[in-house]
Amino acid sequence: MSLIRGISDRQSFPVGEMTANAVDRGTATVDLNIVDEIVERCGRKPEAAIPILQAIQAHFRYLPQEALERVCQLTEIRPSQLIGVATFYGQFRFRPVGRHIIHVCHGTACHVKGAERIQEALERHLGLRPGEDTDPEGLFTVEKVACLGCCTLAPVIQIDRSTYGRLTPAKIPRVLADFLHAQSNGSHPSRGPSAGDFEEGEVRVGLGSCCQAQGSAEVYRRFEELVTLAAVPISIKRVGCVGMCHQTPLVEVVPRRGKSQVYAKVEPDDVPAIVHRHFRPRKLWSRLRYGLNRWLDHLLGDIDEDALEPQSLDVRDPPVCAFLGRQLRIATELAGEIDPLSLDEYLAHGGFKAAERAVKEWSAEQIIEEVKRSGLRGRGGAGFPTAEKWTVVRKATGEPKYVTCNGDEGDPGAFMDRMILESFPYRVIEGMLIAAKAVGAHEGIFYIRAEYPLAVERVRAAIHICEERGILGDRVLGTDFRFHLRVNEGAGAFVCGEETALIASMEGRRGMPRLRPPYPAEFGFGGRPTLVNNVETFALVPWIIRHGAERFARLGTATSKGTKVFALAGKIRRGGLIEVPMGITLREIIEEIGGGALPGRRIKAVQVGGPSGGCVSEALFDTPVDYEALTATGAIMGSGGLIVLDNTDCMVDIARYFLRFTQDQSCGKCTLCRIGTRRMLEILERICNGEGRAGDLEVLEDLARTVSAGSLCGLGKTAPNPVLTTLRYFREEYEAHLRGECPAGKCSPLIRYVIADQCIGCTLCAQNCPVGAIPLRPYRRHAVDDAKCTRCDTCRLVCPIGAVVVESGGRVVAYGPMAQTNSTTSPGGPTSASGGTCATLPQFVPLSEGRSGIVATATSQNSGRAL
Amino acid sequence: MNEAHCRVSIDGRIIEVPRGTTVLQAARQLGLDIPTLCYLEGLKPQTSCLVCTVKVIENGRARMMPACGTPVSDGMVVESETAEVAHVRRRALELILSDHVGDCFAPCHYACPARMDIPTVLRHIQVGQLSEAIATIKRAVAIPATLSYVCPRPCEKGCRRHYLDEPVMICQLSRFVAEKDLTSDAPYSPPCQPNSGRAVAVVGAGPTGLSAAFYLRQAGHQVTIFDSAPQPGGRLRQMIGEDAGRVPIDILDAEIALILRSGVEYRGETPLVTSEQSGLTLTLLTRQFDAVLLAFGEQSQGFYRAIGLACDNRGLVVDRGTFQTSLPQVFAAGSAIRGRVSVARSCADGKSVAECIDAFLREGHPRNVTEPFGVRMGRLEKEELDRLAQVAARSGKETPPQEWDIETAREQAGRCLHCDCRALPVCRLRQYAERYGVDPNRYRAQRARFEIVSQPSGVIFEPGKCILCGICVELTESARAPLGLTFIGRGFDVRIGVPFDKSLEEALGELAAQCVAACPTGALSFREGKPQLTLPILRVQNLSSQTSR
Repeated sequence: MSLIRGISDRQSFPVGEMTANAVDRGTATVDLNIVDEIVERCGRKPEAAIPILQAIQAHFRYLPQEALERVCQLTEIRPSQLIGVATFYGQFRFRPVGRHIIHVCHGTACHVKGAERIQEALERHLGLRPGEDTDPEGLFTVEKVACLGCCTLAPVIQIDRSTYGRLTPAKIPRVLADFLHAQSNGSHPSRGPSAGDFEEGEVRVGLGSCCQAQGSAEVYRRFEELVTLAAVPISIKRVGCVGMCHQTPLVEVVPRRGKSQVYAKVEPDDVPAIVHRHFRPRKLWSRLRYGLNRWLDHLLGDIDEDALEPQSLDVRDPPVCAFLGRQLRIATELAGEIDPLSLDEYLAHGGFKAAERAVKEWSAEQIIEEVKRSGLRGRGGAGFPTAEKWTVVRKATGEPKYVTCNGDEGDPGAFMDRMILESFPYRVIEGMLIAAKAVGAHEGIFYIRAEYPLAVERVRAAIHICEERGILGDRVLGTDFRFHLRVNEGAGAFVCGEETALIASMEGRRGMPRLRPPYPAEFGFGGRPTLVNNVETFALVPWIIRHGAERFARLGTATSKGTKVFALAGKIRRGGLIEVPMGITLREIIEEIGGGALPGRRIKAVQVGGPSGGCVSEALFDTPVDYEALTATGAIMGSGGLIVLDNTDCMVDIARYFLRFTQDQSCGKCTLCRIGTRRMLEILERICNGEGRAGDLEVLEDLARTVSAGSLCGLGKTAPNPVLTTLRYFREEYEAHLRGECPAGKCSPLIRYVIADQCIGCTLCAQNCPVGAIPLRPYRRHAVDDAKCTRCDTCRLVCPIGAVVVESGGRVVAYGPMAQTNSTTSPGGPTSASGGTCATLPQFVPLSEGRSGIVATATSQNSGRAL
Repeated sequence: MNEAHCRVSIDGRIIEVPRGTTVLQAARQLGLDIPTLCYLEGLKPQTSCLVCTVKVIENGRARMMPACGTPVSDGMVVESETAEVAHVRRRALELILSDHVGDCFAPCHYACPARMDIPTVLRHIQVGQLSEAIATIKRAVAIPATLSYVCPRPCEKGCRRHYLDEPVMICQLSRFVAEKDLTSDAPYSPPCQPNSGRAVAVVGAGPTGLSAAFYLRQAGHQVTIFDSAPQPGGRLRQMIGEDAGRVPIDILDAEIALILRSGVEYRGETPLVTSEQSGLTLTLLTRQFDAVLLAFGEQSQGFYRAIGLACDNRGLVVDRGTFQTSLPQVFAAGSAIRGRVSVARSCADGKSVAECIDAFLREGHPRNVTEPFGVRMGRLEKEELDRLAQVAARSGKETPPQEWDIETAREQAGRCLHCDCRALPVCRLRQYAERYGVDPNRYRAQRARFEIVSQPSGVIFEPGKCILCGICVELTESARAPLGLTFIGRGFDVRIGVPFDKSLEEALGELAAQCVAACPTGALSFREGKPQLTLPILRVQNLSSQTSR
């Protein structure tokens, strides 16, 4: 059986076809009653296609052909539409999958920190042959994902709902074992917040996706458990992302009296000590029981209060101060302070005041005028003036009109929109409400990518609460104004961030962009005028209305006003989600907020704007954050990814990385993008593999310019940017590759691992080599068998004296981490593996990160700051 | 001008068109030929091929846009025929061709020095149309029956069938057709163009000279052949005999007679002599004729110098593209310039030089004759060959018949795999590739697998030739076909597919003919009824940039 037959077998999409190693799965007959129910729930119109497919996959874990045929019988959806859609989006699978799905993040930050090697290690460990994605036992299916949005924890994998960060190839067997162990123990269901008397204060636990990836959910659960057990009268509160992702999980303790305290990198086992330190149980019996527990814990050595000290943070502490000091929060105002889903808290901080003004007092023209005076431009990347777009939609003829929030943030290395949707759903709703009034729309749609389940969940919940409280619905805030909101989930296609593709997707079609004009503002969803704005753009609107356009316009440069949210990651000391005023220079962001280069490294570029952006070289770091200034460098503002690259990063590899992404995400419609990006990628692959020829760079550059000039949509027009900028600023690296050298020591075919004279024969490299390329020779100098070596880098990382080096073109291009002087404060970088120089003993050096050592206290009143 | 109209400038020409008109429609009203592949009149623009790209300047902003989908606006300035626009179109075509799997012309065609359109000949034979077959043969070879006795048969070595079992017996079939024609009441003689008033002297009556005379006469020129021997034939006369590899004398005489009967004059026993001697000198010839062709076989450098032509260390100085010697009026071809070559090569040269001389006489200057553009997929894997063979009408090894008759000939011709493109005469991709001078191998891409799907109704689909224009998808969509065609997958791997376990035939239904007709390339075609070839196919080999993967 196959989905399509006889036409072509270039790439097959088998349906219901059992692979040889998946015999015991999915053989049960497909229960079509489920399909009937799903159709009943999702509707029969063509635009229901994607929700129906998502529901079918949620149930069966893939799309059985019988189910799809049934859908065509039951609905207005024709077979060609359904199959076209199902094969377009990356989310849909046509084969039964393993019991657990491992998502390997190939985001930019993960890529520069070795995602490729993690992928190889997984495949090797699971015994996958080329082309296979599921292990012989059918336990795990390995899938690549564009970005999990946990860039500060790179490299990251996600197994079902559990995320593992800061991995090395050597950790993979342990991670899988841990996961299976946790599975067999059964997972703890999360409890709702406990009711009671919270007069003693509150504990705020960051529950953004990155915090959760670092185990904050477990921390939250432990707090609840302990507080219930000890009957401590405090509230445990979930708050959104704080932005300091390099310190996650973050917990802030705010006692009713006294100073608040921030703890970084909290682990579940730290919870009892934190609670004990700040709070006492009220009831005698509870106190006794608590005391007994504590005494027992002490006996068992569970609590070590002194160990807590080094983890708490203070905004006055220089690094923290630098991280927060240059930031200015508008879109992310109140970060870390409010419960994302508490409407009352949002209202208490001035929430929906702007919407009230817009709906009750101001005319549409007044709103647009105010936005116009603020100078707000679209934050999705292109920077189109927001008020201008609103005016076009307002003036466009055709009813009904729609307001759409573009939350299809797909750039690897960008997670601003996810964080805003997760942490401030009401703010975005308010922005959309104001926009709806301004353009005369009564229906709004959130388009959020399916990879952001938490954002989808919170936005849905927030819409529901708003409806209950009369903020959304037929009588918005008690007026005649009518506005309804709903959520559409994306299905895994980066190109759907392009507005015409987004609309095609909402209409239940393949997410293929079309030629503009006509623009969606005039001819959009269902052929009606549709306003499409980015999440961050909407999030800025309430502030502008509340505080006035002038205050917003005072920030920034002549043409770029206000603030911009960036996801800062890569080879810097402090990564995270930051919001900065426009006009700040790249250098200020990288040096002051990011803390500069990792020890012993030299920063050489920053990749701005993700796959559509470009690499800006260090020489241009004084460029201000400004739409025009960034465009002049060859990059673009983009949606806000900032990936810092240092001397260990190969720029050709970076260009190839981004092109792989865009090439993979091309919708396949127009010739220049569909084939052009593939041919560019092939040339880059050849160069990285040492098969480049003279003339390749000229062919590449010419093609890049043509694709950029002639492609149909933004994806194709900007896809060559990473290639063009690296060719512009780092041409000598390309030329080195043509000579057979990779100066950064990244490109596997051009490098080899060599063990230098100083080898002490400790055998660690031999013990850790996953492919047996290093024969065991105790107390003698070891050697790498180049034919067997897979360049997994493990030996270099484990060598206690840095004797394993990387050679390219006959010279050493990378030393082992232990070759440099001790560096413990940098999170994430390979140089931070703990341990000094181990002279003689053959012992296993732990690869885990050390914790940072920062001490002090903070007040919770400091509201402009993160915590 | 009113609100409903826009004034647009296209390549400097102003046109006023109703609002909503596309740039393409406006340009066509002006008679400008903007190339299109994915555009079909009456369907909404697909804007996928981007071959119709133009530069649009609007409100001071210049952009490259597909003309088919861009509506005009008042004051819009469009550039179409500029180097910048041609560059984008050329790259788009090169990218399409870099992902194109198929042969424009069959391998046998390229193997034949005379570039005979062998698959077409075989198709004619297969359906018993021998008069069409001889006409096609004679467009490439002037003396096919003679040649068939002495030809080394490179075509059969190039035949794909060769890798499967035995090649199609092209040479035998060609002889069968040619001899059948010679023995008929009215042997085929192609019509000649009206008299051009120009006269050409051909020195040498061997295969090169005879061939050149044949085609020059067809082109309307007055032709006189000079030779030292009393009878025409040149070195063919030394090959006469009844044994294998020798030409029966009656065949040779009959074919030469046919050429002379078309109006070619023969003057035997008139050798070309050096200027010191008395007799037929080159000076005399150039004075009396508008052009002279030297086709007298291998000669010494001394002789060339003596008749007044320049030589270098490789021999006679000749432009390899135009066959022109150091004297503008004098051309040389065949063994005269190549050393001893096969009769087939000589025949091919005769035909090519005839074209060059014809261009010289009509246009006053020689013109490089180039090979028509064609992509080649090169050698096929066994699995790919099997697919090709499945689609071909007949298969299996055939033993050569004792006696050739129409039935055995048809059977043998039926073994052809039809490697050439069924859409060759109508394929716009090939035409534009030729127009824009594209290099299909610029990107050194690896060839994708060759696939071919044949349906019982005669529809053939070759995914490798599909440019994903979307026309067939749109046609089935707008006709609300119950099943329909769809794009499958995304990005580079997108292809056209039929939902579920259904066949292409079920998807196309009654729209098959419409879809085949609308397909801009040879991706969709009918097994039978290949359009008749209209292009002249012969020419000088200068393929370095076009030879395939």
